[in-house]
Amino acid sequence: MIYRKEGAVVRWENGVLVRVSESGVAIEEGERFECRPEGSSRLAVDPAGVLALAQTIQERATPIVIERLIVTHGVAEHECEGRRWREETQRFHLSLTHGALRALIDATPERLDDVAPIAAALSRAATVERTAPQRLRLAPHVAAALLPGLSDVARIFQTAGGLDGYGKPIVATSGAPWPNWYRPSYRMRPVRMPLNVSIEADSAWIDDALPRALALLAPPAGNTARVLIVDGAEVYPSTIRVERVAGVASERFWYPYAGGSFGAEMVL
Amino acid sequence: MTRFAHAIREELWSRGRLLESRLEHGEALGDETGILARDARDDALVAACDRELERLRAAMPEDALVRLVAEASLEEISSAMTVRVGPLSIVTDAVHVERDMDLLRRSRTLRSDAGLQAPDPSVPLLWLHGSAAVLLHEAAGHAQEHGHDPLTLPAWLRIDIPLRLRRATFRDVPLLRMSRVLVSQNGAPFDVPSDPVEVHLVEGGAYEPLTGMVTVRVAAAEHRGLPVAPFEIHVHRNAIRFLGASGDPIRYPGVICSREGQELVVGSWAPLLLTELT
Repeated sequence: MIYRKEGAVVRWENGVLVRVSESGVAIEEGERFECRPEGSSRLAVDPAGVLALAQTIQERATPIVIERLIVTHGVAEHECEGRRWREETQRFHLSLTHGALRALIDATPERLDDVAPIAAALSRAATVERTAPQRLRLAPHVAAALLPGLSDVARIFQTAGGLDGYGKPIVATSGAPWPNWYRPSYRMRPVRMPLNVSIEADSAWIDDALPRALALLAPPAGNTARVLIVDGAEVYPSTIRVERVAGVASERFWYPYAGGSFGAEMVL
Repeated sequence: MTRFAHAIREELWSRGRLLESRLEHGEALGDETGILARDARDDALVAACDRELERLRAAMPEDALVRLVAEASLEEISSAMTVRVGPLSIVTDAVHVERDMDLLRRSRTLRSDAGLQAPDPSVPLLWLHGSAAVLLHEAAGHAQEHGHDPLTLPAWLRIDIPLRLRRATFRDVPLLRMSRVLVSQNGAPFDVPSDPVEVHLVEGGAYEPLTGMVTVRVAAAEHRGLPVAPFEIHVHRNAIRFLGASGDPIRYPGVICSREGQELVVGSWAPLLLTELT
């Protein structure tokens, strides 16, 4: 199996603009995987969009300290077994700090509106950890980050749409063995895993009066996450363990967690 | 204008079978507008990598999972061999692999029993085989990278951690990183308590710059001559008490440091060191 990729990425990383172009080939033969650069990329990305997005995010995060901001815009052309496809991706990773707390956001420019409420909540957060309320809402990006680790407690499925790491259609399915493959780089051996995961629940009703986990304070571990909870005027850090999902709103938003994850307002 | 160029050869072997092979090369031109990076090939650097990789291959053990990495840049040629046997791993090189494998195999015997108890955190720790370098890597080195205050050390203990701009690949932004950790002692006391926990091999660690908390995951250790379960130390950097040390710095085989997604080998040396966590 021979896979070729050429691409260009513009990345704004903590104030440094990086423009990368590369192209390479990956060959799988039995159990062996080999990759190397090949040819040169003809693709390019205009950095203007990345610079503008970085500026906007910094403005929305004010007055909170930005520990890390990485904004990327990439284009890639792929070829595998006669299939050719093109991808364009835009992402940002943001780490905000306030005292000993750190809020993490991974999202696309379409979810830029997530930033300001998190920054505002973080700026007035108490530092002392509290027990999470029994009933709780999760903000879409918190739910999206947790989804890949919820297969034991909820109905997780792969959403149809787009192409996988071999250029094959990503199909709607649930449960292992997952039919599609994740390949974020030509230098990485493809991994069979669920892509663009989503969640099913019996109810789509969300009680807006419930306290809300607005931000991740650390990457989730399985079904557990340290989060920032907004409960009326109170904002505090807490650790939640998702054991039952009571409701999931019907409106879904895509986030770049694992092989892609559709977050939605969720009730535990 | 700065120019960085390098080539990297990487191979993954499992019990003598080649599973993965990677070649990577590129250059990065930096100026006030940023970094322009492309996968340009410098044949001399690739050839230097190939020679270094050959040396690694000739020395690698056949009964383990082994990752070989050879890198040649405009500044230096370096290499690393990560060897995993069961749950334990070391980071070594062609010169030291035989001796380091002895440590790995001896440490494995400390992991062979199930249901072991983790030690009482108040028991002093005796860091063997240079493993104290990992503790100081986290508590002093990363703190230094973040511009935090130096650790308060006893007069007999010296830590030398030079920082320089380093990057994992031509695609990365260079960061001020540790180039080595050298811990030494001069005239230290060494009154070893009767039953310290003896640390043989460390799996990893972390430093939290927001709080000053240090985490070290101990993979193989013993207490009163018996193996203990793998355990984690989680302590504020200012709560580490240095009780004593002995001997010359010993090269520790095992520090690949990851920060901002960039993995770099950091050479590490430390004498036998006795600590207490308060």
